Formats: sequence, structure tokens, C-alpha cells
Amino acid sequence: MEPLDRDLDASEIELAAEPMLINVGPSHPAMHGTVRVVMELSGETIERCDVQVGYLHRGFEKMCERGTWTQVYPYVDRCNYVSPMLNNVGFSLACEKMLGIEVPERCQWYRMILGELARLSDHLTCDGAMAMELGAFTPFLWMVKARELVWDVMEEETGARLTHSFGRVGGMAAPPTPGFKEHVRAVVDQIRHVMDEVKRLLLGNRIFLDRLEGVGVISVDDAVSLGWTGPALRAAGVAYDVRKSYPYLKYGEVDFDVPVGSASDCYDRFMVRIEEMEQSARIIDQCLERMADDGPINVDDPRVVLPPKDEVYTTIEGTIRHFKIVMEGLKLPAGEVYSYTEGGNGELGFYMVSDGSGTPFRVRIRPPCFYVTGGLERVITGQMVADVVPCFGSLNMIGGECDR
Amino acid sequence: MTLELILLSAGKALFMVMFGMNLAVIMTWADRRQGAMINDRVGPNRAVVWLPKRVAQGMVLAPAVLIAAAIVGYVYTHKVEGAPRLGRALLFSQLAVFGLWATLLAIGGRVARSGVKNSFDAWVASIGDPRSFLWLGLGAHAVTLSAAGLLRGTDLGRTLRDVGASAGPAVFAASVIGGAAYAAWSFERVDRVGLRLFGLLHPAADGLKTIWKEDFIPPNADKLLHSLAPIISFFPALVVLAVVPFGDTLCFGSKAGRIDLTQVMRVVPREGLCTEGAVPLQVLDVNVGLLYFFAVAGTGIVGAALAGWASDNKFSLLGGVRAASQMVSYEVTLGLTLVGAMMVYGTLRIDEMVRWQSQNTWGVFVQPLAFVLFLTASIAESKRIPFDLPEGESELVAGYFTEYSGMKFAMFYFSEYVAVVASSVLLAVLFLGGWHLPFIDRSGIHLQIGDTVLFHQTLSHVAVIVIGVLAFIGKVVGICWLNLMIRWTLPRFRYDQLMRLSWRKLLPASLVNILVTGLLMLLVAGASASVQAGLKVAADVTQLVVAVAGLSLGIWFIAFVTSPVKKKRILASTAAQFAAHLGGTRTARMGA
Repeated sequence: MEPLDRDLDASEIELAAEPMLINVGPSHPAMHGTVRVVMELSGETIERCDVQVGYLHRGFEKMCERGTWTQVYPYVDRCNYVSPMLNNVGFSLACEKMLGIEVPERCQWYRMILGELARLSDHLTCDGAMAMELGAFTPFLWMVKARELVWDVMEEETGARLTHSFGRVGGMAAPPTPGFKEHVRAVVDQIRHVMDEVKRLLLGNRIFLDRLEGVGVISVDDAVSLGWTGPALRAAGVAYDVRKSYPYLKYGEVDFDVPVGSASDCYDRFMVRIEEMEQSARIIDQCLERMADDGPINVDDPRVVLPPKDEVYTTIEGTIRHFKIVMEGLKLPAGEVYSYTEGGNGELGFYMVSDGSGTPFRVRIRPPCFYVTGGLERVITGQMVADVVPCFGSLNMIGGECDR
Repeated sequence: MTLELILLSAGKALFMVMFGMNLAVIMTWADRRQGAMINDRVGPNRAVVWLPKRVAQGMVLAPAVLIAAAIVGYVYTHKVEGAPRLGRALLFSQLAVFGLWATLLAIGGRVARSGVKNSFDAWVASIGDPRSFLWLGLGAHAVTLSAAGLLRGTDLGRTLRDVGASAGPAVFAASVIGGAAYAAWSFERVDRVGLRLFGLLHPAADGLKTIWKEDFIPPNADKLLHSLAPIISFFPALVVLAVVPFGDTLCFGSKAGRIDLTQVMRVVPREGLCTEGAVPLQVLDVNVGLLYFFAVAGTGIVGAALAGWASDNKFSLLGGVRAASQMVSYEVTLGLTLVGAMMVYGTLRIDEMVRWQSQNTWGVFVQPLAFVLFLTASIAESKRIPFDLPEGESELVAGYFTEYSGMKFAMFYFSEYVAVVASSVLLAVLFLGGWHLPFIDRSGIHLQIGDTVLFHQTLSHVAVIVIGVLAFIGKVVGICWLNLMIRWTLPRFRYDQLMRLSWRKLLPASLVNILVTGLLMLLVAGASASVQAGLKVAADVTQLVVAVAGLSLGIWFIAFVTSPVKKKRILASTAAQFAAHLGGTRTARMGA
């Protein structure tokens, strides 16, 4: 690791000779999130580099250990803040796995729709930001406009645009709003339309293709041994998608494809995301078809789910039930569990240990982009300075998730 | 040198400087506005000067009344007979038609945007699409023009001519006053009026603001060079405009060795320039013209390189090095591209180049490849996307001006826009005919294909010159707009790709261009008289094409700008439904 400050003679301008040591980040326009890359340049080529993460470490995992299981939700929201709903769903599934319960069918469809919408927002942001950092500002603004539509749905459903904290163990915080299906259909239509325009603007553009093709190549072996998952791994040609390989919720029942790349370069990573958005839209269409318009959202288990408010205020049983769940927390049985779902950037895992007390003993999050960022050094060494931008963008490192 | 000439020179310099700087401010605004529009936001429009109602009404009405009074006064005190009378009838009937439809179109657009306020608005709204006024007006233009052609020499024609000559100015004046009166009257309902100029005050205010910002110099920086760099960068961008002619040579009469300013109302002959009292409309009339441009424009590099080195910052240094190598590389292409143009025009003087284009055909038709190459290289020279590597935001923070703040930063920022204006100006004069419009020569409108004269109408000298200056401004604005569109469409190159484009593609292409130009010139010089005549006709045809394309583009543009805005909104979320229930937000009205 490079030292933060070097003793330099501060008396005159230092005209850096080769190799030039340059410090990119932790606050630098290309380093969204806070990551620091120390590069050794020869001309414009990166000879050596050192990627340093951890500038956004806030101790989420430790903080999880001082509340109830339900109080973990706000923390997982703030991990991948571009697709918080996927984290909500992932954490709910982990807790339910521990409890050995399964939420009602309607809730499963509901979680899938919200989760895929979050994936859309994740990929829109990643691809848009990638284009923007290459100087193509218009597609970025279009895609952010489309993401805004997703957030409109989220706001309508959850009351919050970014950090929803909407998942609950054994269900969701609220049932779908009456206009939910109509709204989502309209939004998905709009997003498809925006993506068509974006593709027309970018994919025929020689400059854009030249900036991406053959840049930031990583071998399949390297990608696998680094623990890469998600779009970055699929761009390398490995068709590993948790939704397909180990289906959870109702993913086994819907029809969708797993796009894979072949060259494992920035272009493939860009295109895999573009194609996955189309697949997400397909999944959403099928879920909307099959989700029932009424029916329970939460499991019928008094130990897990809060009682309705009118019961809380009118019956002693309800009051006590509410009190027990809120004050003591859910009693997850003692033991450990590893539950994994497909997050925005890859396999989002929760390894959790419970001592049966109602407070998490240990919550370990496996953030997909921590492992992906681990490969950044290999991806950019030997490339030019300007290539750091698409490489880093295509790995989609999310600071909150990587550093926790 | 007489006092008049000194004043004129100062006026020309002032015009050019104001033109360059104001256009740069407008481009700054348009750049930000473009970004806002893509994102469905309003854009920069916060800066506002509040005027009391009466003052605003006065500001709208007074110039309109003055202009109308001047026109009516001049026309009815200077009676003319014969051919000039027909010219006046034509001019004012066209102006009257234009004034009427433009005013009604503007009012119609306003009514469509902000609703019916009175019975006149109701009448305008009952027409439906405000663009009906545009189509009606264009029809009226065509009818009056063809009537003048068909009825020439008949009694009815003479009557119409008298009507046009006497009523035209009055109708035009009335439309001007009417439009102003409508605007003034619409202020009646408010206490004060915000002067926003479409938001143009916003970039101006932003620019002013930088004066009061902290002027930061890094502790280890070279203080002198650090302060000098923005000046070196800004100054050449502005000074290159000096050699560019923004209009045809102005001919004053000469009276006892002093120029006579009143003589500009007459008609001058088609061919040749006046021998006495000629004032070229360019600040600096030098015979090295184009070389001066290259000499001065090349100096701008020094500013960027100095800034990069003097800042004591590695990002700045990288940016400065990139700027220097990029601009030197593209300077070569820029220069070689124009060699072909110099060969064709046979001169280095920019005013003579424009004159060659006005007598033959626009440069873009004789040097199409050079036009494209020059456009590319000039964008690279102005360091804008897709060639903005020296300041490549996501790589080098802000490149060579990372360590600049306040007014010095603003000077770098602004000099980029001035450089865009300068390169657009050069493109306009070298390839798009500068101040020349097809079929308008020094004597007036002259529509001639080959030896056949289809239409001829004399215009006074001052009218020809003013039309030329307006054409020049229009072309420059058009190219600036093209620059803006390119900036919002393309991503940026990588350093090696940029160099490859310059040395392996553009440079060979410009050399080939020189070779082909030379061969073609030899062929043409040795060709027979009939081929030469054919070329002359072809040149006239290109002028015709330009005229038709330009007119249709202008009409399409007006129709596009005034087309009703249809915004599709998803009203499914509660917030949107709530907003719609309240009649929409302040900036976006919700339709039914």
C-alpha cells in the first residue's frame, strides 16, 4: 500500500519525471463512491497501480448487532443505494430461511417486481454514468430520467424514493397500492422507449465503441478466482446468475434469458447490462400477469408479523404481540444461515448467526462489488489513464456496499 | 484620417468584440439550457431584473414607436417615382406581411402557452394552431411577390404599386406598434415585470459572480505564469476576430475629401468597388489575413500549456501536456486544409476570399472535404467534446485549469466559448460565403442562372450591407449551434485515438485534398470555353440550391420552434395525480 503523504521538497514546482506517481481519489470525478487508486504512469500508460478501498466504511455489520433483526433493514438499504430494494428482499429471504417460513405467493410476485425494478434502476445508473464519464452526457440524462420513473413507483409503493426500508421478515411493510400494476406497466414501457433511444445514440457511435471494445479485458479464470459474480462475470462468458442457477422466489417459474458476453471487455459489460434490462422488463411483465390482485401479503404467523393496528389498540393480545415483536425483536432460532440472491452487481449474500435472543449475533454481508473491485487493479494495469473511466464504470463499484 | 473614419474603426472593433463575447455568453447559456431540456428541466433562468410596470411598458413601447415613426416619417417625406417606387412598394409590402404574421404568431404562441386573457386572445385561440399565421403569411409573401412579377407594366400593377408604396409602411409600422402594445398591455395586470431575456441574464450573472470569488493560487505555483496563463488563453481567441470581414465593403460618397455619410441610401453598381470613401467592414485590413489568424490562434496553446505547468498539480500538468500536443497536431491539419482553399481563391485576404465566393460559389462546394476536415480540426482546437481531453473531466478533474478559481477560471471557461465563436466565424467566411447570400449582390437582388436573368430588383446600398451583416451573424450562429449539437451527442476520444485521427487520417486526407485541388484547377484552367460556361451555370445552380435549402430550413425552423409542446406524463403516482388536480406545477401545466 502506498503511503498517504510522501516527503516532497516543497520549495519549488515538482516536474514529475517518469514514472509519474499520480493519486486518483478518494475524491475524484471518476471515482464515484470513494476509492483511491494510486497509479504509476509512464506517459499515459498505467505501469502499476494500487486500488485502496474502505474510505466509506461505516461499520454497518457491527451496527447490525445492537438492534433487532427488523432494525437491520435501514442498514441494508444503505449498502447498495442504487438498488436498495434488492437488498431488502435479499435480507428478508435470509431471515425467512432461518425461520423456515415462506411468504405468500402474492408477496413473492410483489418482491420480484420491486426487485427487478430496482435492478433496472441499478443498470440504468451504471450504464448511464459510464456513458456520461466518456463524455456522452445526453444518454446519461435520458437514463436518469428513466430511473426517476422507477423511483416514482418506489415512492408510490413505499413512501421513500431512495432508502425504502420496505421489506419485512415474513412479508412487506404494506400491500401493493391499487394502481400498482397500471403504473409499473406504464413505467416499463417508458423505460423500453428510453433504452431504444439510448441504443440508437450510442451503439452506432464509432468513438463510443472504440472507447469500450478491447478495453479492460480480464480472463475467465481470473474473474472466477477473484470471486466475480453478476454482470461483470457474465460478460466474461460464465452464465452464472443466482436467479437461474439457484432460483428463489418464483424465478424458476418465469421465462427469462441470461445474457453472456464473449470478450470480457468494457463493451461486453456495458451490453450485458443493457440486455439484462430487457430481461428484467420481461420478468416484470410476466410477474404482473401472474400476481393476484388481492390476497395476503404477509405470512399468517403471529410470532413474526406485527398485528394490525386496530387490534393493537383494542385488544390486549394485540398490544402484547406488538410489544413483544417491537421491544424484544423477532426470535430467530439459534443457528447460522447463508442466503444469497442476485443483487444489482452479482451475488448478494447474507451470512447470519443467531443466538436466539432476538438480536443478531453476526450479520456478514457478501457485497458483490467488493470482489469485483478486487479485480480493478488487474483490469486497468497496462491500460491508459483514460481507460480507468470505462473500466471502473463498468465494474459498477458502489461505495456503500463495497466498504459497508 | 478623419474623425468619421476613426469613429467607424472604433465602432467596427466594438462590434466585433461585442459580437464574439455576447455570442460566447449565449453559447454558455445554450449549452446549459440544452442539458436542462434533455432532462425536462427549465434551465438557467433565475437571474432577473425586476422593472416597475410603467418602466417595462415604456421600454417595450418606446423603441417600437420610434422605429415606426422613423419609417413612416422617412417614407412620407421622401417621395420617389419610377423603378425605386416599385422597389419601395415591394419592400414594404413584404415587411408589412412579415410584421403582421410574426406579431400574430408570437401572440398565438403566448396564448397557447399561458391561456386566453381577453377577447383578442380568444380570437387568436379560435384560429387553433398558431402556426396557421405562419402558413398564411408565407402565402401572402408568395402572392405579393408573384403579383409584382405578373402585373408589371399593367394599370392594375401600377395601382397596386401605389397602394403598396403608400400603405405598406403604415401597415408595417402598425404591426410593430401593435405587437409592442399587446406586450405592454399584458403587463397591465402585474405590478412589476421580470426582465429575464429567456434566461440569458443567468450566465451573465454567473460570470459577474466570479469576480468576487476567491482567487486561489497554489502555494508552490509559479505565481507570475499562473496569473498570466488565462490572459494568454483568452486574448488570442478574441483578437483573431479582427481580420474577419463581417460585411461587404461599405461605400460612402466623397465630398471635398471627407466622406459623406448620407450617400448610403443610393444604389451602387453591381460590379466593382467604389474608389473613394470605401470602408471595409473588418477591423484589421491586412494582406496576410489567414496567416494572421494562424499566428494568433496558435498562441492560445501557450496559455493552456503554461497553466498546466505553473499550477504545481499533476492533473494540470497532464492536461497541459495533452493540450499542447493536441493543439499542435490539429494546427497542422487546420493549416493544410486551408491550402486548398487558398489555391482556389488565389489570395490570403479573407475579404477577397468572400468576394470570390460571392462571384462564383460557396467554398463548401469547391472544397467539400476541406470543409469537413476544417470543422473537425477546429472543434479539436477549441478543446470541446469529443476532443476535450485536456480538461477531460472524469479523468483529469478539470485538466489544465484544475487549480484555477474565480475570474481566472472564468476566463479559461469563457475563452473556450470565444474560441468556438472564432472558429465558427472562420468556417462561415471561408466555406459558407461569409456575408454573401445567394442572388444578392451589391446592387440588390439579382436572380441569374447562366446568362438568363430571372429576377432583378435594386436595393439601396445600406440595405444590401445590413442584409449581409445579418447573413453573416446567422451563419455564425448556425455553426455555433452545430458545435453545440456535436458536444451533446458525441463521447470523447482517448489520447492515442485522438492522435491517430489527427496524424493518420486527417493529415493524409488534407494532403490528398491539396493534390486533388491542384489537379482539378489545372484541368479547369485548360478546359474549353463551353466547359467554363458550364461550370459557371453549375455554380449558379449551387447558389439556387443554397437559396431554396436555406429558405425551407428557415421556415421549418420557425414552424418547429412554434410547434405546440406536447408533454406526455405518467399520472399514475399519487404525487403526480395530486399535482394534476391542482392544475399542474408552476413550470409544467398539466393538460386535460
